[in-house]
Amino acid sequence: MKKYNFYLMLLFLSSLLSGCVETNILDKIGLTTIVGYDLGTEEKMEITAVIREVNPEFQSNVEIITTENDTSKGNRMKANRQLSKKITVGQMRVILFGEKLAKENLHYYIDLNLENANVSNGLYMAVVEDETAPLLNYEYKNIDDIGQHIFRLLEQNISQEYMISPTLHETAHDFYSIGRDIAMPIIKRNEEHIEMSGIALFKGGTMVSSLPVKDSFYVKLVRDSFNSGFFETNLKEEEMPPGLLKKPSSEIPIVFDAIRSKRELKLIDASTPEFDLNLKLKARVLEIYPDVNLGDPELVKKLEKTISKNLANEISRVIAHAQEVESDIFGFGEKYRSKVRNSELTKEKWHEMYKNMKVNVNIDFIILRNGVFE
Amino acid sequence: MKFKLPFNKKQTPIIVEESIVDGKMITPSKDGFIQQIKDATNNPFDLIIKSIPPNITIIYIDNLVKDQTLNEHIISNLQNKHNETPETIKGALSIPEVDIYGQLEKTIESIIHGSVLIHLDGYPQAVIANITTRESRSLAAPENESQVIGAQVGFNESLSTNISLIRRYIASSDLCNEKFTIGKRTNTSVALLYMNGIANDQMINSLRQRITSLELDALIDSAVLSEMIDDNSLSVFPQMLLTERPDRFCDGLLNGKIGLIVDGSSMAIICPQSFVEFFQSQEDQNLRWHIATFARLLRFTAILLSVFLTPIYVGALTFHYEVIPQAFLVPLSESRALVPFPPVFEALLLEFIIELLREAGARLPTKIGQTIGIVGGIVIGTAAVQAGITSNILLIFVALSALASFTTPSYMMGNVIRLIRFPIIILAGFWGFYGIMLAFCFILIHLLRQSSMGAPYLSPFYPPRLKDMRNSIIRMPIPFTAKRPALTRPTNEEKFDPKPIKPEKS
Repeated sequence: MKKYNFYLMLLFLSSLLSGCVETNILDKIGLTTIVGYDLGTEEKMEITAVIREVNPEFQSNVEIITTENDTSKGNRMKANRQLSKKITVGQMRVILFGEKLAKENLHYYIDLNLENANVSNGLYMAVVEDETAPLLNYEYKNIDDIGQHIFRLLEQNISQEYMISPTLHETAHDFYSIGRDIAMPIIKRNEEHIEMSGIALFKGGTMVSSLPVKDSFYVKLVRDSFNSGFFETNLKEEEMPPGLLKKPSSEIPIVFDAIRSKRELKLIDASTPEFDLNLKLKARVLEIYPDVNLGDPELVKKLEKTISKNLANEISRVIAHAQEVESDIFGFGEKYRSKVRNSELTKEKWHEMYKNMKVNVNIDFIILRNGVFE
Repeated sequence: MKFKLPFNKKQTPIIVEESIVDGKMITPSKDGFIQQIKDATNNPFDLIIKSIPPNITIIYIDNLVKDQTLNEHIISNLQNKHNETPETIKGALSIPEVDIYGQLEKTIESIIHGSVLIHLDGYPQAVIANITTRESRSLAAPENESQVIGAQVGFNESLSTNISLIRRYIASSDLCNEKFTIGKRTNTSVALLYMNGIANDQMINSLRQRITSLELDALIDSAVLSEMIDDNSLSVFPQMLLTERPDRFCDGLLNGKIGLIVDGSSMAIICPQSFVEFFQSQEDQNLRWHIATFARLLRFTAILLSVFLTPIYVGALTFHYEVIPQAFLVPLSESRALVPFPPVFEALLLEFIIELLREAGARLPTKIGQTIGIVGGIVIGTAAVQAGITSNILLIFVALSALASFTTPSYMMGNVIRLIRFPIIILAGFWGFYGIMLAFCFILIHLLRQSSMGAPYLSPFYPPRLKDMRNSIIRMPIPFTAKRPALTRPTNEEKFDPKPIKPEKS
């Protein structure tokens, strides 16, 4: 008797607890899809939020609100004062940073979003050339919902492996691991479109340089394996083996489709340090000018060599650039730390060593098939 | 407050009732005997008393006896006979079941079951000739458990017809048939059937004991009996299967289960039964194993959908907007935009309407019942959406889960699936996905604690029996399922010796 009473009381009391739960009924909230952080003019930060609201008229409209405050939550309160619906961040897909802000430090902003359990760790992060507010506030002729649009733009390019993947999870991981720096895509407004224009390189939380968007392929090759997507490169005449060309021309563009790449990183000398980067790349030639002689297997071998050399040069160039600005976006430091016992590596120590690092790039490029039609 | 079970479930040794020795005996005189019978049966209108000179009296209840047999084999044989004794009459009657009783109680019992009493003036005994006739409908297809491939015959309300159906499926001397009488007032016959040499003796004993210790006033249907004798009468989940298919009943017996048939009820009881078996159909055995497996997986998906789809909608829309896929976000919020209620209320309202339609369809005469479908489906559905009471998407979800709940082959279990949805919806509205999880855990723990005739209810998953899983939510080919399920603890485990599936290629 007492036992049952106890359970009944417990059940009754716990049902009262349901009043304590905060409800977020879908049609009563404003869903933030994009947040753009900028340096504020008067206060510390300026936030531009793209918020999707649903109205009873069966229309959903997108509100873009720019506020300025010292903290992120303060900005949210300010934005709330302008909206009829509660602002939530659970459906946020993209975080954008203004270039100026990125050049200061992003540490605070990465922590801020990482610590908020409502924010998905799968959202993408990107840097905007100049400032985010003008990019988001601009009224594009063909873009209905800019929040969806930027997310889809990043998503499809990342899934096609044209661009490095900058999710919050990966960025935070790179940020906190010693011997690795973060990298993010750069986007900008180009008239009526939004396009990707490059890769931002960071040293710690600060953006130090950028690479042109074409180089994202090399960055991806060195960072991790590559399984889809195609790439175009220009072979210079002087690199060409004799006999490959039917008639001489100064540059031969060639498009190939990397089917599989295998990356192997070896530390040969811990004192310099010196690394061996062995890349095995299997690819199909998708597009090539007809004056290239591909009928002879001997010549194909030579072409493979040429491309290998070309790729090695390009990769060396990209690595050298990154070394110059002390941004280890490839994770050489992680390899170093895992190989050298008691290295007691810190970020500062590694950045010192990284400047003088030597990398020998060896590429084994194999053409599996040529003349493939998609 | 303590719940008292309606009967004692603990096993106690069976007490054999002492036969009534000091019962009233029949009076030898003719008038005395007629008066005795009239008193005992409360002198009903259909009690027929007929005297055949010189000293024979025939008493029977009209409508219970076969008129033709009465005329041809009893009355014509008894006419113009003198100085007979009960023994000579017994020999003279050309019908199979004839007895001589001296006790009044026995004679009364047999007259109300449809026997004819033949009394000779001056003898303290009566000859009892059993020529019962019972009204019963002819055999028909099982309406509640129809299937495409398989036998199209169902049990009807007559016990003897049902047993003859079973004997047709299992022509074996091992088929045991025990008779019990339940109900102080109805004296309903109940047959206990099992296969000797397959069924577990302990289980038979405990079932026998549960039936005999049952003190009931009346037993009208087997569903009542199954509720009275199952392991946990308070649980919402049935622990014994009610089936109207003789093939399913016989398949159960051959797997070592025990069957009960109640006179006057077209549903037979099969036990022990595990939770998973409620979602199997007899048709699964008749189809190729790939198709049967697909159908079973479909049914289990349907249960999950039916139980959890609406709660997930409620939980996601009330608390967890984060989990809604982006492509779904806009259509979902736009369809919800006009609805003035919170999602819980909206979902409960729609579920309530669907249940109303189902109940109305079941209660109404068949001719009107069809219109209910049209009224419900078209009028209420579209009107509710247009009036802005519910959202389009929820309408689809609720319809889908209602449809899914009807795929359960057992109607009893289908009802449970529909019922347990409501508390989960309310919990989802209170606590979101935590509430759903709470409900799921509660149901799972409850199921784990149940047993059917002492056998684990969640068998073969808990306790795990790998061999029995071959015929659970999937159905492996018949050679792989040559063993009887451990659930029934069969005396003989092997159904047959499995041969290699494909003969060796030479």
